[in-house]
Parts: sequence; C-alpha cells; structure tokens
Amino acid sequence: MFINYALNEIQFKIVYYGPGLSGKTTNLIYIHNNLDKKLKGDLIKIETKEERTLYFDFMQMELGSIKGKKPKFNLYTVPGQVSYSISRKLILNGADGIVFVADSQKERIDENLETLYDLELNLISIGETLQTFPWVLQYNKRDLPNCSNIEKLQKKLNFHRVPYFTSVASKGIGVVPTLKSIINQVISKLQVPVKN
Amino acid sequence: MNIDRGGNGQPVLLSGEMYKAISEILSDLASKTRAKTIIFADMNGHPITQRGQTSEINISNMSALAAGDFAATAEMSKMIGEESKFKYIFHEGEKTNIYLSSVSGNFILVVIFDSNIALGMIRIFTKRTIDKLEELLSNAKKDTPTDTKYIDVEFSNYLNKELDKAFDF
Repeated sequence: MFINYALNEIQFKIVYYGPGLSGKTTNLIYIHNNLDKKLKGDLIKIETKEERTLYFDFMQMELGSIKGKKPKFNLYTVPGQVSYSISRKLILNGADGIVFVADSQKERIDENLETLYDLELNLISIGETLQTFPWVLQYNKRDLPNCSNIEKLQKKLNFHRVPYFTSVASKGIGVVPTLKSIINQVISKLQVPVKN
Repeated sequence: MNIDRGGNGQPVLLSGEMYKAISEILSDLASKTRAKTIIFADMNGHPITQRGQTSEINISNMSALAAGDFAATAEMSKMIGEESKFKYIFHEGEKTNIYLSSVSGNFILVVIFDSNIALGMIRIFTKRTIDKLEELLSNAKKDTPTDTKYIDVEFSNYLNKELDKAFDF
C-alpha cells in the first residue's frame, strides 16, 4: 500500500494467485474489458510464445474521488506453473490482498492444494500467513462437466473460511464480485492515518 | 515517511513536504541531463512522481515493470553469490535508453534518455541524485505522518458505490 498525501492517492496491490490455467489472466482480461475506460490503464502481459504468463500480468484500476481521496488498485497475476515459483514469490512482495483462483475440475484438486501451500510458504517468508492475510477464494470453471462440488472444494481448500465465489471467468460470471470482495477486505483491514 | 517496507500491512506513507522535495530533486536531474522522462516509484511498483515527457509513457505500467525488473535481477544476483542486490540496470535501445537505479533498496529511479546522450553523464548525475534522495529519505524515517483521521466505514460505503459505477457505465 502506498499513500501519497500530496496527491491524496492510495495505491493498493492485489495479486491473483493459483495453479496454471486456472483462469487468473482471464479474470484480469474480463475486468479490463468491462471497466469504464476512464478508470483503467493498459493491460500488460509478460507471456511466453504459447501465451502462458511468464512473469506477470498487470493493470491499474482507478476509482473516482472518495471523500477527497483517490484509490488506485494495481492488479497482478502470477505465473501458475510449478517451475515459476520464484516469480510468484517476487510478485507477492508488497501485496495487500490475494485472490486465489482455483480450478474446479476434479483432476486439478491436488494442483490447487499444492499452489495453496506454495502461497502459504511465500506468505510466511514475508512475515504473513493465510490465517491473517486478506484473501478470497474463487472456484473457477464452474461450467465444465467434471467439476468437484463446492462442499468438497470448501473442505479441501477453504480451511480458513475466507469469502468464496463460484465463477466462469471466461464469461465474466463471478469475476466482479470476487474483486469487490477482496477490495473490501483490504480496505477493512486498513487502519492507517490519512490526511484530509 | 515510513520507508522500511511497503505492503503486507505496512503502508508506505508519503507526506506532502516529502513529495515536493522529491519532485524538486527530480526536476533538477531532468534539467541537468536532458533526460526525456524521469520516474520515481517504490519497489512494489507504485509510481510516486515523474518529470519530463510523461504523456507518451504509461507511468503506472512503467513503474510496475521497473519493479519486476529489479525483483528479477535481485534473484539473479543471489544466484551468482552477490551479497547485495544489483543497484543499477541499464537497457540500451537504438533511439532510447533506460537507466534504472535502486534508491535505499526500497525505491526506484527510472531515467529514460535519448541514446545520443552519454551514459557516463547520466550515471554521474543520477548518482548525485540518488545521494540526495537517500539523505532525504533517511531523515524522513523520523517524520512519519501522525494524523489521526482514519479511513472509516463511510469510506467503504462510498467505495462500493464507486466500484458499482466502474463496471456499470
């Protein structure tokens, strides 16, 4: 979080985390395509030739002035593949909130869990834990026929009982509610002095 | 300003006076080097202030990429057994170059300049600027704003209305 009193700006960093191909970039693309163009910058994608995220995706979302303050949200995704563990850790640095995008398909349950543990380890390395850090869960790809049921996913992944959302990010279903939820969590944790 | 750590519940706070002082230092660097654009950001990729031609460059994106650049090279320095992180990164283009410097380990100075300007000159003036900024920032550690007005429930309510508007235009 960065607070610039001179400009009355508050900048937040929100990171979309999750296993490879779970739909993190798809979330960002939907947000970018559906946001008022006055409030958004370009969407940057640092990706491989195969269009997989190599380092991160990034976009900035602004909101209008609220009580004289201008909040800005810097949205990042991490690369999901196991081999990009270092990149994930780097992008997590300075994050204020996390959206964990899980793949609902039955055969991806172990990868969801592994990535969640990877997240926990990376949070610990920066002095945080899943128990204390603001994060939300998004169960994506709910339109696919081989999805685990929500009860099972909740039992496996949501042991901290954080807010969760079902989604079909490719159609935009559940994307905005997820974003609103993490922003609200981050704001509600915010207890810092802000000048008029 | 609290400059020890940003994010992770530890906000970086920048006072109005500090913003002005940093901006003046950057203006001085811009006039001495004829650099196209100068950006000051934090290591988490949050842009702070900029000088020079800024309309053609998306400052937020450049700041995020500069932070990513430093984060990646810091890992490279670890891999080759460097005890401290790299302080400078230079990208050479055909028409335009970028010289990135770490300031206090927590901030980044991005200098974008024509390739016909000597790198040596950029380096000398940038080094002097970094010294000034680091001195300013080390004094600022003792000067964290202490206002007592907080972001409150009302702010959250307005925020949600703005969020609704942002996606329903």
